[in-house]
Amino acid sequence: MIYFFEETEDGFLTAFLAAFQDERALFAAENTQLVLGEERVYLQTDSLKAEKARLRLQSFDRECLSDLRLLLRCGKTDRFQVAFGYLKAVANAKAPVRARLADRAVFIAMEYVKKVRYEIHRFHGFIRFMETASGALYAPFSPDNDICDLLVPHFRARLPAYPFVLHDVSRKKAAVYDGEHVFVAPLTQAEVVLSAKENEWQGLWKQYYAAVNIPSRERLKQMRGYMPARYWKFLPEKNENASANR
Amino acid sequence: MKNNEQMFDFWKLLEYNDSMISQEKLTILTESAKYDVSCSSSGSARKNAGGIGNGYVAGCCHSFTPDGRCISLLKILLSNDCIYDCKYCPNRVSADVPRVSATPEEICELTMDFYKRNYIEGLFLSSAVHKNPDYTMERLVLVVKKLRTEYNFHGYIHLKGIPRADERLCREAAKYADRMSYNMELPSEQSLKLLAPQKSKQSLLLPMRQLTQEKRQFVQDKKKGLIQGHFLPAGQTTQMIVGASPEADGQILRLTQALYRNMDMKRVYYSSYIPVVHDALLPEVGAGQLREHRLYQADWLLRFYGFTVEEIVDEEQNLSLEFDPKCAWALRHMHLFPVEINRADLAQLLRVPGIGVRNAHKILQARRYTRLTFEDLLKMKIALKRAKHFITCDGKYLGAKNDTTVRGLLIAAENGENAVQLDVFGALPKTNEQKIMLSTRQNALMALTGEL
Ligand code: SF4
Repeated sequence: MIYFFEETEDGFLTAFLAAFQDERALFAAENTQLVLGEERVYLQTDSLKAEKARLRLQSFDRECLSDLRLLLRCGKTDRFQVAFGYLKAVANAKAPVRARLADRAVFIAMEYVKKVRYEIHRFHGFIRFMETASGALYAPFSPDNDICDLLVPHFRARLPAYPFVLHDVSRKKAAVYDGEHVFVAPLTQAEVVLSAKENEWQGLWKQYYAAVNIPSRERLKQMRGYMPARYWKFLPEKNENASANR
Repeated sequence: MKNNEQMFDFWKLLEYNDSMISQEKLTILTESAKYDVSCSSSGSARKNAGGIGNGYVAGCCHSFTPDGRCISLLKILLSNDCIYDCKYCPNRVSADVPRVSATPEEICELTMDFYKRNYIEGLFLSSAVHKNPDYTMERLVLVVKKLRTEYNFHGYIHLKGIPRADERLCREAAKYADRMSYNMELPSEQSLKLLAPQKSKQSLLLPMRQLTQEKRQFVQDKKKGLIQGHFLPAGQTTQMIVGASPEADGQILRLTQALYRNMDMKRVYYSSYIPVVHDALLPEVGAGQLREHRLYQADWLLRFYGFTVEEIVDEEQNLSLEFDPKCAWALRHMHLFPVEINRADLAQLLRVPGIGVRNAHKILQARRYTRLTFEDLLKMKIALKRAKHFITCDGKYLGAKNDTTVRGLLIAAENGENAVQLDVFGALPKTNEQKIMLSTRQNALMALTGEL
């Protein structure tokens, strides 16, 4: 059976309950290839049921829901299938399974969780804000995983006086901190007016980046390992047009 | 996206104008600071108290340069205009280079604006000795004080102290900085005399000791609730240049051990000498990065593995380039091995080549539930390439039959890894290192075929 559901935590948990006994359950993500002849079911989100599932799962493992929340943020298309496998393992064991890495389902789930966590950590460093004319900060980026709002607490704690926008340009959404509240909103293209000095500061940063390098010790492979090229597009120091192309 | 001319704000421009550093100045002051190794921003949990910034205990990298190093802090000199004459330094008084000094405002604005854009985690500020030590230290203190009190900056600040400056300035600096460092530069008094004539061991150790004692006092007083605030939450570090002077690794590491024991150093950094300046007193080639790597490995043994320097290397000796220092130690103490994984205590496990701190703890935990076999170790993702020659699992031994073969296999294992590392280091300058690699590879081959 192929399960279609609303891609929210409640939607997923509704589907989880419906599919629990189904050995061959397939969880449809946005672009699942439909398997011919396989039955389909379209599920209506049931928040009450979802809440029950949450409580039950929590009684087995207090932390498994935070694992789930990170799993659902993962950029891999099979994330729902993996999350299903993981929660099923928790439910069957009626206990935390995190450490049972010999279990394939658990192993993959933990890998995905690790990926999401790691990317959050990376973007604490790789986010690049631009100063807009109003003083608010704007950072376009394109993460592998759906994490823009998960970055907010970090930046809010260190820049409480600055409204900022973390714009996930590939998912066309943004996490916004307006100086008081935090919210997530769809955002395709931002109309941004830069402050008078923004380009100069970016210029200084590029200059700094060039000057602090030790050319006689070039280790490009290592640099790319730590800072993969797919992230470069929004780093002024790696991209001549980082500010101009958005 | 374009700058909007209509939004042009005259007052804002005025406010900015005099304190934005020029590209030329930034370049000169950065070029001069970049050989300092430490860029770590870890160890401070400073909270945001209104204003901008906080600490990130684990440290955070914001970018990586083509040399593979992480950019965490804005590493810059306040001035490169030096009255001292350290032979290895491009800014020494006798060198003919352009001299510039930044104003405290320029450094503050630069830090704030870089920080706000999330380019950096904080500031690593040092300076050449400009005019005299007190004047320089005063300026440095002025910058960090301004940043903390006027600009309300709570991000990370690492300040490099100036030797021979007044101790009150040193104390004042510690109130505002997260970390301070006085670099040992060279591992002996003789070398300092020869290569950095205006510095002396005493002039460097004195402020270090002062800070150590004051920090200990501060921690005690804070525990008792007598005082609040910060005093170097991320402690002190120091750095030594390796290979510019003739000291052996054994001597360097003895100094290291003393610094960890007596000065509560958080880290000792080693920087393999890169020839930037030509001088008859200095070697023409840089020290190999493998030597630097071995020093760091030995440093870890001192800090986390319960080794003393006396166990690792004799005073006049260098570390083996063929084996990592733990392997080398184990090979000298074969009578202590193999140890039984199910019985050995933590200290013994930590001495097994190839078993690190984390894996040692994993083993302790896992064996509470079951008698561990080699299969279990593999499942726990514990590499056995080196370890298998030094352990038994449930009485079973999978290592080589005699010490000579163990040696050979360890060299082979090491070469496998160094091949990867060499790759990582990219194009290495032609140093002894490559010759050594070659010779060990031959050794390894011979060992495998039984000729060694
Ligand atoms: S004190 Fe020595 S190392 Fe420091 S800037 Fe002056 S000459 Fe260079």
